[in-house]
Amino acid sequence: MAVVAMYDYDWPSRSAAEFYGDDQLVHVWWNGNVFFVSAQTFRFPKAMPFGALVNDVLKGFFTADPDFVPESLDGAKWKIDGVAVTPDLDASLEANGVGHKSLVEFSL
Amino acid sequence: MTVPAQKPARKLSMKQRYTALTHDLDWTPTYVTEEQIFPYTGFEGIKVHDWSKWEDPFRLTVEAYNKYQAEKDRRLYAVLDGFAQSQGQLGLTEARYMNAMKIFIQGIPIHEYDAHRMFSNCARYLNGPGARFAALCQSMDELRHAQTEIHTLSHYNKYFDGMHDWHKWSDRVWYLSVPKSFFEDAMTAGPFEWLIAIGFSFEYLLTNLLFVPFMSGAAFNGDLPTMTFGFSAQSDESRHMTLGLEAIKFMLEQDEANLPIVQGWLDKWFWRGYRLIALVAGMMDYMLPKRVMSWKEAFELYFEEQMMNGLFKDLEYYGIKPPRDVQWAIDEKEILSHQVYWVLYQYSHAAAFQTTIPNEEDQKWLMEAYPDTWPVFKAAVWDKAQRVMDSGGRYFNPGLPQLCTVCQIPMGFTEPGNPLQQCQRQSVYEGERYDFCSDGCQSIFDNEPVKYRQSWLPVHQIFQGNCGGPTLPDVAAWYGLQPGDGAEYLGSPDNLNWLAWHGQAVKEA
Repeated sequence: MAVVAMYDYDWPSRSAAEFYGDDQLVHVWWNGNVFFVSAQTFRFPKAMPFGALVNDVLKGFFTADPDFVPESLDGAKWKIDGVAVTPDLDASLEANGVGHKSLVEFSL
Repeated sequence: MTVPAQKPARKLSMKQRYTALTHDLDWTPTYVTEEQIFPYTGFEGIKVHDWSKWEDPFRLTVEAYNKYQAEKDRRLYAVLDGFAQSQGQLGLTEARYMNAMKIFIQGIPIHEYDAHRMFSNCARYLNGPGARFAALCQSMDELRHAQTEIHTLSHYNKYFDGMHDWHKWSDRVWYLSVPKSFFEDAMTAGPFEWLIAIGFSFEYLLTNLLFVPFMSGAAFNGDLPTMTFGFSAQSDESRHMTLGLEAIKFMLEQDEANLPIVQGWLDKWFWRGYRLIALVAGMMDYMLPKRVMSWKEAFELYFEEQMMNGLFKDLEYYGIKPPRDVQWAIDEKEILSHQVYWVLYQYSHAAAFQTTIPNEEDQKWLMEAYPDTWPVFKAAVWDKAQRVMDSGGRYFNPGLPQLCTVCQIPMGFTEPGNPLQQCQRQSVYEGERYDFCSDGCQSIFDNEPVKYRQSWLPVHQIFQGNCGGPTLPDVAAWYGLQPGDGAEYLGSPDNLNWLAWHGQAVKEA
C-alpha cells in the first residue's frame, strides 16, 4: 500500500544491499536456544564458504553459552530462509542461496 | 452634560470567559481560502463537516492555565530543593533502582519535546479553534514535562552514572531507537493520524501502563522527586486523555467514511505503543527493588479491564473494534517482562544502564507473580547465567541482535503459547527482505513498506560503518558511553558508591 502523503512518497531502504559492497548482512538463528535472545546479525562476504561460517565463526561465537559443544554444529540441521537444506560447506554463502538479510537457521 | 451612569460590567461565567478568550478569537477568512490557511488537514482522507462540534470539556484560558501550572511548578521545585539539601538520594531503596530512572531520562524527555513540537503544529494547523486551543495547552504541557523531568532527574546525575549524556544517547544508542523511531513515525504522519497515535493510543489507551508503574515505582523506592513530578504531571495527563478521546469521537462523529481510516490507525498505533512500553514491563518486574505490582497485573487492570471491558464497549457504538493484534498482547502478559529484561541483561555492556541477575528476594517475588512462566525462564536462561557468574564470568551476548524493522527491538519475542520458540516473520518488498518480531509489526510494515524501509536500524548502521567503527569500543565511544554507565550492576561504581555511602553512615551512627 502506498503511504498517504501530500506528494508522491518514495524513499529508498536504509539497509539496502548496495550499502554493504561485496558483503551482506546475514542473520544466524540457533532455533531452540533462547539463551541467545534473538537471531544474530553479522556482516559476511558473499564469497565466504559456508564451511568457514560454521567452523571459523559460529563454533567460536556460540561458546558464549557454557553448554555449547562446538562439534555439535557438525550434525546441525540447517534451514535457509525457512527451507531445509544440506549446505555445501565448500561453496560460498551466495552459492548456498544465502542472500542479503537471509535467515540462516540451525537446530541441534 | 451628564454621562449616563455605566452599568458595572457583569462578570463573565467561566464558560463565557473561555469562549470569549478562545473560540471568539477565531474568524472566517475572506481573502484566502480555508485550505490555504489549513493545508494539512485534507490529505489523510478524514472528512470534517463542522469543526465547532469539537468539545473541549476543560474550558481553560491561557491565564488560568499559567496560574495552575505555575503553582504546580512551585510545589515541584520546592520538593526538588528539599530533596537535594537533605541528600535524599541516600534514602532510595538501593542504587540499582536508578537504572529504571536512567532509562526514563534517556527515553522520555526528548520525546516529550517532540510531542510539544507536534502539538504546537496542531495548535496552528487544525481548522477548529476549540481543537487548536486544546492542542496549544497540550503543547505547553509537553514542554513543561520535558523541562521538569530533566530538572527532576538532574540531581541524580551528580551521584550516579548513566545519566550524563542522555540527550546524545537518545539519538544514537540502540535501545533508544525504539522510542525515537516511534515518535518520529508519529510526527511524520498527518495531524489526524498524530492525534490517534499520540493523543488517543498513547495518551489514552496506554498511558496508565506507562505512567503509573514509573510514578508508583518512584514512590515505593524512596524517589520523592520523581513521584512529585508524576503528581505534577497527572492533572495534565487527564487533560491529554480527554483530548485523545475527544479526537477519536470527533472524527467518528463527523463522517462515517472516517471509520475505516481511524480503525486502521488504531490497529497500528496500539501495536506500536504496546511494543514501546514493553521496556516498561521489563523495568517493572526486574528493575525495581520494591515492586508495586507486576506487569501482568497492571496489564489486566489498566488494559484488559479499563480499556477492553470499558472503553471499547463505548466505542462499539461508532463501529470501532478492539485493536487487531490485541489478543497477541494478552497472550504475552505472562512472558513479556521476562523476555525484555533478558534482552537488556545480555546487551547491557553496550547500554547506559546496568542489569543483574534477580537476587533471591526478586526471584521469590517473580515466582509469586508468575508461577507458570518464571520457572520456565529461570531454567532456560537465568540458571545458566548464574553458572557463568559463579565461574567468574558474566554473560554478555558477543554479537549484535537481529532487529525488528518496525519496533526496532531485538527479535526476542516468541510465538503465542510457546514461550521458548522465538518468533520470525519476514516480508519481501521490491526484492529486499525485512524482518519482524510479530504479526503486528509485520502487518504495519506491509501496509506502508516505503515508510518503514527507511528505518535507521542501529545494528545495520553499525555494520554500514556509520556508528564510529566496527568494534564495541568504537561504537561505545561514538555513543558517548563511559566506563560505569553500563554492564553488570554488582561491582559497578554505582553499586560500590552506594555501599560506601551507607557504610560511612553506619560508622558515624
